[in-house]
Amino acid sequence: MITEIRFFLNNREVSITTDPLKRLLDVLRDDFHLFGTKEACGEGECGACSVLKDDKIITTCMVPVGAIQGASIMTIEGLRESERGRTIIEAFADGGAVQCGFCIPGMVIAAESLLAEHPHPTDEQIRLGIAGNLCRCTGYDLIVDSIRLASERGDGLW
Amino acid sequence: MRQTPIGNPIRRVDAVAKAAGTLKYVADYHFDDMLYAKMVRSAVPRGKILSIDLPDLPTGYYFISHKDIPEGGKNQLQMIKSDYKCFAENEVRFIGETIGLLVGPDRGELEELLSKVDISYETQPYSVTIEEGLECKGGPFVGDDNLFCDFTIDKGDVDKVFKNADRIFEDEIRTGWQEHVHLETNGAVALCEGDKFVIYVSAQCPFYVRKSIAGLINRPYEDVIVRQTATGGAFGGKEHFPDVLAGPLLVATYTIGKPVQLIFDRFEDSAYSVKRHPSRTRFKTAVDDKGNIIAMDIDVVYNAGGYESCSYVVLQRGVFHATGVYNIPNSRVRGRAVATNTFPSDAFRGFGAPQTLFAVETHLNHIADSLHIDPLELKRRHFLKKGDVTVTNGHINENVVLPEMLQQVLDQSGYPEKVRTYEKGSYKGIGISFYNHGGAFTGNGEQMIIKAKVRLKKNRNGTVDLLIGSTEMGQGLQTALIKIVADALQIDPKYVRYPNPDTSKVADSGPTVASRSTMIVGKIAERAALSLKERWNESDELTVEEEYEHPEGFPWDQATFQGDAYIGYGWGACVVEVEVDPLTFEVNTTGIWSSHDVGVAIDELVVHGQVNGGIIQSLGYAAMEKLDFSQKTGFKQVGLSDYIIPTSMDFPSQRCTLVENPYEYGPSGAKGMGELVFNGASAAYVDAVSRAVNRPIYSIPIPPETITELIS
Amino acid sequence: MVESCYIPKDLKEALRIRKETQARPLAGGTDLMVVHRRGTGVVPSFPWPVMIVSRLPQLQGIFTDGNEIVIRSLVTCSEIEKNDDVPYQVRKAASLLGAHSLRNLATIGGNICNASPKGDLPVPLIMMDAKVVLLSATGKRILPLDEFITGPKKTALHSDEILTEIRIPVPTVPYSHIWYRKIGTRKANAISKLSMSAAITFSQERIVTDFRSANGASGPKVARSREVEQILIGTHAREIANKIPEILSAYDAILSPHAMPEYRRSSTRRMLHYFLTKAASEDCERIII
Ligand SMILES: Cc1cc2nc3c(=O)[nH]c(=O)nc-3n(C[C@H](O)[C@H](O)[C@H](O)COP(=O)(O)OP(=O)(O)OC[C@H]3O[C@@H](n4cnc5c(N)ncnc54)[C@H](O)[C@@H]3O)c2cc1C
Ligand code: FES
Ligand code: FES
Repeated sequence: MITEIRFFLNNREVSITTDPLKRLLDVLRDDFHLFGTKEACGEGECGACSVLKDDKIITTCMVPVGAIQGASIMTIEGLRESERGRTIIEAFADGGAVQCGFCIPGMVIAAESLLAEHPHPTDEQIRLGIAGNLCRCTGYDLIVDSIRLASERGDGLW
Repeated sequence: MRQTPIGNPIRRVDAVAKAAGTLKYVADYHFDDMLYAKMVRSAVPRGKILSIDLPDLPTGYYFISHKDIPEGGKNQLQMIKSDYKCFAENEVRFIGETIGLLVGPDRGELEELLSKVDISYETQPYSVTIEEGLECKGGPFVGDDNLFCDFTIDKGDVDKVFKNADRIFEDEIRTGWQEHVHLETNGAVALCEGDKFVIYVSAQCPFYVRKSIAGLINRPYEDVIVRQTATGGAFGGKEHFPDVLAGPLLVATYTIGKPVQLIFDRFEDSAYSVKRHPSRTRFKTAVDDKGNIIAMDIDVVYNAGGYESCSYVVLQRGVFHATGVYNIPNSRVRGRAVATNTFPSDAFRGFGAPQTLFAVETHLNHIADSLHIDPLELKRRHFLKKGDVTVTNGHINENVVLPEMLQQVLDQSGYPEKVRTYEKGSYKGIGISFYNHGGAFTGNGEQMIIKAKVRLKKNRNGTVDLLIGSTEMGQGLQTALIKIVADALQIDPKYVRYPNPDTSKVADSGPTVASRSTMIVGKIAERAALSLKERWNESDELTVEEEYEHPEGFPWDQATFQGDAYIGYGWGACVVEVEVDPLTFEVNTTGIWSSHDVGVAIDELVVHGQVNGGIIQSLGYAAMEKLDFSQKTGFKQVGLSDYIIPTSMDFPSQRCTLVENPYEYGPSGAKGMGELVFNGASAAYVDAVSRAVNRPIYSIPIPPETITELIS
Repeated sequence: MVESCYIPKDLKEALRIRKETQARPLAGGTDLMVVHRRGTGVVPSFPWPVMIVSRLPQLQGIFTDGNEIVIRSLVTCSEIEKNDDVPYQVRKAASLLGAHSLRNLATIGGNICNASPKGDLPVPLIMMDAKVVLLSATGKRILPLDEFITGPKKTALHSDEILTEIRIPVPTVPYSHIWYRKIGTRKANAISKLSMSAAITFSQERIVTDFRSANGASGPKVARSREVEQILIGTHAREIANKIPEILSAYDAILSPHAMPEYRRSSTRRMLHYFLTKAASEDCERIII
């Protein structure tokens, strides 16, 4: 069954006519060519496919596009255009958070989601905030440090 | 960490592109007319293929198998050993072995077709465990004993010493499979470009891929161009395994003439990819009346799975590290790699060393327990020093700074005080481990086999290109090598470019394995940069090439494994502190301290990140990464919801320090470190848990269920 | 294979579609989309029609109705976690379910209807005697949750029904001591190996007037035995220690001998022992951790 789904993607209204059960992840990557959203598990476990839906972090490999009718989706491509997004990305680069990079766009989304809720998070809050994002390279320490750095540098942004 | 000019962190060259999501990984490449492939795999661990019934293939869909290998092509992948078949023909040796590829334009259709492929087998009894392999359960399928290799190295006179020993301790230590879980799964795209074939692949060693697969279509290496795509983690899992994708893809694109993409999903990538070798290490250790270890007789067996691939080399490293960082006057180590009907075991960060290092550390803890002394007392007494003779009767050629490293972790962790106050069995424990890692290829491999080359090109605009086959896979190599070159040229690193390799454009600097890239390739790059600097004004455009030069005076005999197996080592010390929940036996790690000697850090932040990541991977190996055989899917814990790796909540933040100890033959004094940092934390963790619950531990992993069994 | 998918606009339409096509509700999709996935770039395929109910306004919201807390079926774990009206153990279970990104999607209705033996929310809910409201185009049924979940992945849901509400009775006398513990496969973002929810109420004379305990991931469905709980009713706090062995061995019998039996049994024994001993002691805090 093919249906028209309208939603906001990185602050622009878009529409797509497709099977409503198609995974949002495939819609973003295959139909909108937004390759910053990664697939690493396909079962909701790793967070590489994270985006913000109505400002809340979700994993797109589990969401049928039919469920986001009217919603607002922000991917790394949208976030990186904002002051907050840039602040996080720069902090990740300076703080040594990035190794192979495959988990990182999802981590940046998680960081944004966390900072929106806790602009000055404790280390424990940071660790909890990224617990749904698996990283096999960094052991997380420098990611935690970098999020703290982003929160300091971006004081007032969140 | 000490600040040295080269060590001062710079922003990693790839960081912003990765964080902003602009960097392309293999799954992000799309070509006109591109087809997709799905692998058709063996469903049984051992058997003969009787028939393959395919559903009717719609137009535009293909089944590619060994029958598509052209005249003159050989159905084999040329890994270190060339026994791995590109496509199984008559027999299958393990669940998940490649039988063919289904290729076509629609992935949904391919899934449908795949579910309708019907293969019938004559199944045979099969072996899974080391014991079953050694007993040749179901009859041997490799030689007449299922052994891919079997060798022994001797130092001193073990038998004589055993006769006079005061006490003899016997032990058996085991480690399990471990899955790499590079966050990016394996993937490749093959296509034709003119009369050449191009492979885009997420891989550590583009030149390995080329060499491994060109023979399938009977073409010279140069006809296959391999382009490495940004690689989302590897850890050894993309050393030889990319060949298993690239080979069938090359045959497919050769047959069909269109680009073909094969990306594993996570389920496939965890069920049907290579793993770390499970191991069984048996010790017989002689101790004199003063409590000194005077001899060790060690029997190491690695479960190699269905094909040898690089197991012989992995095993060598395991054997050469079997006595750890200790000077044991007499030793004998036998190593065997046994074939079983499980997915082939292969390279994984540490390359055979973590298994025996875990074993020897744990064994020494058991001895110390019996002698009623702290393991640290026993261990530090035997620390290797410069000039000491190694298990292969070579020498330690460098200053060993273990005492300084030890002091750092003792001061920071409060180990001595905590050992005094945490009673055994009090559910609180602290553990310590020591480890090393021989740098680069074993013996004279760099000189005899690899012969690495580095090319530097000065462009008209004054920028410099570093053109080598070494790859960035997350470890920070691009940043490190750019810094080395820039430092030698005395230019800003931003003027040095180091693109992902394309085998038709770069020099073969050898595989990106064995922690050799900074130390060996970096050194050649440094020399190339110095010579470019000298010739800088000769011309607007200039290319220089340098080759590996083996330092004099480090004898090695590859036939007998005698001499300096490694010229230099990285060294490590790690302390881990835990609390065990008395209700649930869940382990809460409360502190992690480490100190490493990596020579000189080329970039302290990069090193810091490697240490953190390596230690967490090692703790996962010990604490939670359980992987069992399954008759259904090859492995039981497949996918990331069943195969459990650490999250940000599982371990606390680490304290890590370095002891600077410049290495004469490395660039700016650097040594390899990517694997070293994996080699020891698991032993410290197990030591801590073992003390906390006052039970000896003989194998990893140890999830809470296992701890419960130990206690009851 | 039928490939229909519906996106009803309101509950009424959903009930009609449900009746006419038996389409199954897809709420957060975190179970359905994963179980029926077919890989990258391939639309998941379901053996029956599906209706995406994720955005139905009538199934959102948490409120109090008399002495019941009502949680509508599309309420997500994140919403439960943050709502002070929801009893502690349910909030705690919701907060430990999966990771943040999952909790923003996973609904209470989905968690219940999925009826996984490892599902977390039914454990405290069954302990508290929660009921479910099942609506169809033709009527409404109310069932105790413990009866609604009939076995692993099995419920008493009729093919024309939708779960609309979960009703949690608030005890007239608040529990004196409560406990929730989840043992996951790791410290976060983890499926339960075992979970346990318990509560006890003492009269002013320190006599046990209520005791209840439920276990998750310990059998085909949530394990709870009212007979075992009865053993303790009427007991003085002082006497609890004497009754613990009897309780533990009776409780043991309700746990199934499945995977990791020894681990589950012995951990349960230790936890129950700990909870009761703590609760019986003087000056024990209300929330036992
Ligand atoms: C990575 C990951 C981690 C997880 N961790 C946990 C965990 O820690 N603990 C845990 O308990 N679970 C866990 N789960 C399972 C899952 O997330 C939960 O069960 C979740 O609550 C399901 O809710 P949903 O809305 O996503 O369900 P859906 O997938 O939408 O539906 C699940 C089932 O319920 C039915 N259904 C849904 N709503 C209704 C309704 N209103 N009326 C009738 N039927 C309905 C559906 O038809 C389907 O059969 C995890 C899942 C994933 C992917
Ligand atoms: S790919 Fe979606 S969570 Fe891993
Ligand atoms: S940086 Fe590689 S997985 Fe996180």
